[in-house]
Amino acid sequence: MRSPSSLKQEFLKRWMRGLQRCTSSKKDMNVLERKKVIKLSADLAIASARNGTTSWSRALIANASRDNDNRILAERILGPESDILIKRVSTSVGTVSCNRKIRSKKILKRSCNSVRRVRKGTHLPQKVLAKSIAKRLVQKRTQILKRLVPGGEFMDELSLIEETLDYIAYLRAQVDVMRCIASATELINHD
Amino acid sequence: MNRALPEMLHCLSGPGNGTDITVLERQRTRVKWQHQEQQNYFVGNFQDLVGDGRCGSVLRHVVTHSVKPDPGFEMNSTITRTSSCPHTEAQVAPEAKGKVSEPAEKMSSTVGRESYKKRKADKVQNTKVVAEDDAKDKRSKVCAEEGESKITTEQTRTKNTTTHPNNRETSADTSRENSKASEVQKPDYIHVRARRGQATDSHSLAERVRREKISERMKYLQDLVPGCNKVTGKAGMLDEIINYVQSLQRQVEFLSMKLATVNPRLDFNIEDLFAKEIFPACSANFPTIGSSSEMTNPAYLQINPAQQMVACCGLEMGVNTPDLMALRRTISAPVSLPETYFDASCFTQLQPPSTWDADLQNLFNLDSNQGRSISFPSQPFTGSIEASNLKMET
Repeated sequence: MRSPSSLKQEFLKRWMRGLQRCTSSKKDMNVLERKKVIKLSADLAIASARNGTTSWSRALIANASRDNDNRILAERILGPESDILIKRVSTSVGTVSCNRKIRSKKILKRSCNSVRRVRKGTHLPQKVLAKSIAKRLVQKRTQILKRLVPGGEFMDELSLIEETLDYIAYLRAQVDVMRCIASATELINHD
Repeated sequence: MNRALPEMLHCLSGPGNGTDITVLERQRTRVKWQHQEQQNYFVGNFQDLVGDGRCGSVLRHVVTHSVKPDPGFEMNSTITRTSSCPHTEAQVAPEAKGKVSEPAEKMSSTVGRESYKKRKADKVQNTKVVAEDDAKDKRSKVCAEEGESKITTEQTRTKNTTTHPNNRETSADTSRENSKASEVQKPDYIHVRARRGQATDSHSLAERVRREKISERMKYLQDLVPGCNKVTGKAGMLDEIINYVQSLQRQVEFLSMKLATVNPRLDFNIEDLFAKEIFPACSANFPTIGSSSEMTNPAYLQINPAQQMVACCGLEMGVNTPDLMALRRTISAPVSLPETYFDASCFTQLQPPSTWDADLQNLFNLDSNQGRSISFPSQPFTGSIEASNLKMET
């Protein structure tokens, strides 16, 4: 849908806008606060760029607005359209939490059944063992990935991989833009 | 008609345990039998058979006889199955060969079920016959739990338990082994063709479609994540992906910290940055993405952003400079300040949203003027893919 450079430009624009909105209030911030602000504004910038189309962007915004103090900051960064965005996000997150309960029950049922099945088999040949081991490895890794991608815990494998793709693209753009600006400001400061 | 299969199997087993018969003959008999059985829908039989615990052993026997000749013409990963065959054969041989009619009925019922119309996404209302609903659901659970490993089902087959779920598994196996390609006729469902030698059960079909989708996505991920080409298999690739995502997240943290230290006041001087032409130097840092030819698959329209990004990233390299120049021009247009620092106060005076949107439109216009295709959200995606294809060829 977007070429990477246009994504980067969009991200840059929103990020700068968010930062500008944020710095207007406080003048003195220590390093950690600044870092937090920068990161938060960057995250929100790209998440709002996706405009709630992807699940991870919604989860990012939801996480950002969960704590109270963060929420104020986030709202300020997002600017005038924050209310609409946060409302949209919260509705989708509500359904996610409902799905979460259903999914956890399903997972519990499935795990019980599989445990029962495994106990029946007293002697498994090598290939079955290997396959089950491989499966368990994949499952473990999928769980780790679910924890990494924001909002990924309640998704099935297929959508998880899609979200990961999108998230990776976003992270790349973010890293590139930030690196450029960091090196540029360094160069400027040295001059 | 029910007797046809056992007769054929007797013929098969006649000259020396089925090993001497050519593959072609076996194939022929099987096709004949299938054609016969496809006419029949055995509703009540299945329930009777399921309730009968004696079928298991006999069915196993029948199945192994039909399984053994399989390596000749089964294309998927059933080679492992055949290697376990002698093991099963040895176990099954001493069992009685009687009760031919029951397994015949059972097999015919399973085959009858195969010719049911398959629906992809509908797991509950699948079967036409109501009596088979429960059986199928439980069988699907069995299938789902055991995944695609036919070996585990074989293994459970060889155990001498005649319990209820075991019967279901064996019937599933027979349907799997005796199945051939079948077609879906019903409208407004996704048509999936079962591959030869694979189960035509709707659940396994749906599972296979799902698996193929997942593997397709993994291929795209492989292109996106550097260093993923050397690893094969899901676990390794997932490992690489996890490492990559973690490293990217850590980089973001580090860079934001760096920016925080470099900037005492959190104001970023974009105008100056552009003025110093620093970004062209940065463009060299942009990661080169290798082969994007696989990504230009017009059938794959869903993961648009990533795909388009990878496809166009090769083009972006040379064109970054004019892009950023355009950005600089558009940014500097509303800001007619002689000074180089953007203050927050200036920005608020400029009514950022409208000007930014206008600038963005200018950007798009400039880009399209330069002959590159950036897909607007309203445009159909296939057009943009083709355009990018053309770009890649030139």
